[in-house]
Amino acid sequence: MTAAADTTGMGDATTQAVVMRGITKRFPGVVALADVTLEVRRGELHAICGENGAGKSTLMKILSGVYQPDEGDLEIAGRPVRFAGTRDAEQAGIAIIHQELALVEDLSVAANVFLGREKRTALGLLDDRGMHDECGRLLAMLECPVSPATRTGSLRVGDQQLVEIAKALSLEASIVVMDEPTSALTESESARLERTIKRLLAVGTTILYISHKMDEVFRLADRITVLRDGQHVRTVDRADTSPRQITGWMVGRELADHDFRHARTRGPTLLEVRDLTLPWPDHPRGYRLSNVSFDLHAGEILGVAGLMGAGRTELLETIFGAGEPTWTGEIRLDGKPVHYRHPREACDARIAMVTEDRKRLGLFPDLDVAGNVSLCSLSEALRGGLLSRQREEELVAGPIRDTGVKTPGPHAAITGLSGGNQQKCIISRWLLTKPAILLLDDPTRGIDVGAKAELYALIDRLCRDGLGVILTSSELPELLTLADRIIVLAEGRLTAEFPRAEATEQKIMEAATGG
Amino acid sequence: MPQPDASHRPSFLLRPGEWALVLAIVLAIAVTALVDANHSYWDRPLESVRDIARNTALLGIFALGATVVIIAGGIDLSAGSMIALSGTVCATTMLALAPAQMMGFKPVGAVAVAAGCAASLLVGFLVGTLHAWLITSVRLPPFIATLATLVGLRSFARALCESSTAALTPTKSALINISDPFFKTVRDNVWIPVAVFGVLAIVTWLLLTRTVLGRHLHALGGNEQAARLAGIRTDNVKWFAYCFGAMTAALAGLFYMANESVAAPVNQGRGHELNAIAAAVVGGCSLAGGVGTVPGTVLGTIFLRVVIDAVSKIIKTGADVYEGLIVGIVVVIAVTLAQFGQLAKGGRQLLPGALGLSAIPTLAVLCGAIVSMTAGSRAGIAAGVGAAVLLGLVRLWESRRTA
Repeated sequence: MTAAADTTGMGDATTQAVVMRGITKRFPGVVALADVTLEVRRGELHAICGENGAGKSTLMKILSGVYQPDEGDLEIAGRPVRFAGTRDAEQAGIAIIHQELALVEDLSVAANVFLGREKRTALGLLDDRGMHDECGRLLAMLECPVSPATRTGSLRVGDQQLVEIAKALSLEASIVVMDEPTSALTESESARLERTIKRLLAVGTTILYISHKMDEVFRLADRITVLRDGQHVRTVDRADTSPRQITGWMVGRELADHDFRHARTRGPTLLEVRDLTLPWPDHPRGYRLSNVSFDLHAGEILGVAGLMGAGRTELLETIFGAGEPTWTGEIRLDGKPVHYRHPREACDARIAMVTEDRKRLGLFPDLDVAGNVSLCSLSEALRGGLLSRQREEELVAGPIRDTGVKTPGPHAAITGLSGGNQQKCIISRWLLTKPAILLLDDPTRGIDVGAKAELYALIDRLCRDGLGVILTSSELPELLTLADRIIVLAEGRLTAEFPRAEATEQKIMEAATGG
Repeated sequence: MPQPDASHRPSFLLRPGEWALVLAIVLAIAVTALVDANHSYWDRPLESVRDIARNTALLGIFALGATVVIIAGGIDLSAGSMIALSGTVCATTMLALAPAQMMGFKPVGAVAVAAGCAASLLVGFLVGTLHAWLITSVRLPPFIATLATLVGLRSFARALCESSTAALTPTKSALINISDPFFKTVRDNVWIPVAVFGVLAIVTWLLLTRTVLGRHLHALGGNEQAARLAGIRTDNVKWFAYCFGAMTAALAGLFYMANESVAAPVNQGRGHELNAIAAAVVGGCSLAGGVGTVPGTVLGTIFLRVVIDAVSKIIKTGADVYEGLIVGIVVVIAVTLAQFGQLAKGGRQLLPGALGLSAIPTLAVLCGAIVSMTAGSRAGIAAGVGAAVLLGLVRLWESRRTA
């Protein structure tokens, strides 16, 4: 049956695989979704586009029962439903392949595929053989060359993703949600995934596909929905639009208007990295970083581009003394070779690092705002050898004001602030240590667009004050907006270096994927 | 920037949960005073206070140690064995320095006493160092490392006791009697342990709230990886925490030895580590780390001892049999009440599904059994039926609310 016949016919309810109506979801300090309505036709590939923090993942987590909406209704195949958990969604035929894969690493591939729905023999024991065979069949269909008995943790990310898809297939899910599935894949793995997607569509599966890669979206999608700042912007047929138009809707007001790059004065060399190699035992590649060399000057922002797993975080951690101390090569600070074994030593040398994954590696949920900001410079809050509440308040007031943290007061709970304000608190923490070098590892991840612009202005100002900044980002426009120079990592090797005038998304992407 | 809001300023007095503990303590004392047929709180108030104060001080000293370890995100299961080892080390040291006086039940002299006490505290430091090394360098989970020393140190203390008595006295023994007047004075003057506990509590409170190290302990327990990435030498902070835990247990061990006039490695302090952890948890510590206060632990210790004392006054015979049961019930109720807000908001059920249904008879039987053992079978049956009906109503109300 064709879409045209259906819209005129009586079966409107049955042509809609998914209807989400008026969905609102609030988190402490931020409205993730505001009155979003989404209709997905049966058997189509519906792409959902939006910047990080636009609400795509939250919407999909509501569809798959991970979150419950604060307001709004959900209909699957015309029937109103209410999911109390992921189990309910699975039963309604919805499978989600999360951005962060949800596999038990210590179990075999087959055990993961059938986790929670294990096959049993007539005696009620685990039917390992049955699961193994069934799993092998699914993997073969997905062109995945791994044995079902392999330990899942030893697989590459691309293969792990296929295991998730095999799980969705074994559920016989009629609706499959894919949350940025290609973000960690190589070219050939992406191509393999696309073939799988076409196969799923051919058997009538409905696919919701989250991505901000325009080429993919325009190759695969039937219709496209754009979200921005938690709001539904528009849903259009692919044929009626263009990548340029979609990108325009995604960013709304053009972020590129902020041009921070002019009139920075480049100072003396702060940091020289030569032939930095970080071994990776027990991994076929053998290294996390290989022969990476670059310089960092005072008053400049050096961007580090690369896909997930390219070694961006490892590079910063190695400089900061937070990673494995087994690296070879040379790191020179102000001309002197250094080899830090603990972040403390790097802090003492006036290096600061704002870590990726704020919640896991940066925030102290049990300390208040002041405690989170003052942590690295507590010696300045002492009076007579003891911490003084008053001196601590005075100490943190400056950076809290300068970075523009919006908080009810210095003793408010840090967990009550929005992501952007939490990040400003962490940057404040490091500014108090008066660093000469600031390492920023994907500092705007999960932060809404407005706060992002504020952070950009802040980073630019710090750089003008003479700091040397190394910035990594998973969003290329961010690097193109902020950085004076961009180096590109691919699978641990430095594959290109561009001055700002020559860098384009296209060139960086080619260097990051090909090398 | 918005003005600092006064309501976000933390109170310098107690937190809400700690006020609730104060109320619970007063309530437990009032109930005992009314229900106790012997009227011991009315007739012999000083004796009752002394009793509770001594027990509170002894437990409290190493509960403070447990608090520091728990705030740092760890756990120390070995405190009870450390108490036994501490007494044994002190007694053995005195035996070695003054064997004739020890055997003749005579004063051993200030030097021997000081050396004995110093040796115990030093051993506490060594045990803490061992824990920290096992946890940070060998990378054992704290539970495993201190479980090993829980079992190992008691055995080690007994072996030490037997081999030193075999070498220094005519007969091998698993006990060393203590008769020095110094320890008699400590035993007979309850204000000494109370004063030591008070001073230690103030020092620990200052440490946790007003020093850099204290802030680092909180940071370590709240988010260890982030603490390391903030430049905190987390291994050293852990080293301090486990030494503090073991040394407070060693200090408590000296008081237990003085109290019982004997170093008895087989039984001294057995099971006490769990009481210390219970006191800290009742006082608001989270075993996940990062959360806890000294006033909370002090009140938790007092509450635990007051309740144990109340039961001993009300039940009269063999009350010590019920001590573990009371501690267990108090811990469950205290932690449940701490989550009361979450339960009341309706996000969660206390008795959900088949598990909740099965929990009703389980709890009713438990309740009936306890009451029938303490107050006769008729009361027991009534209590069991009453509990079943009450829980049934809770279940009914919960299923109505969510439907």
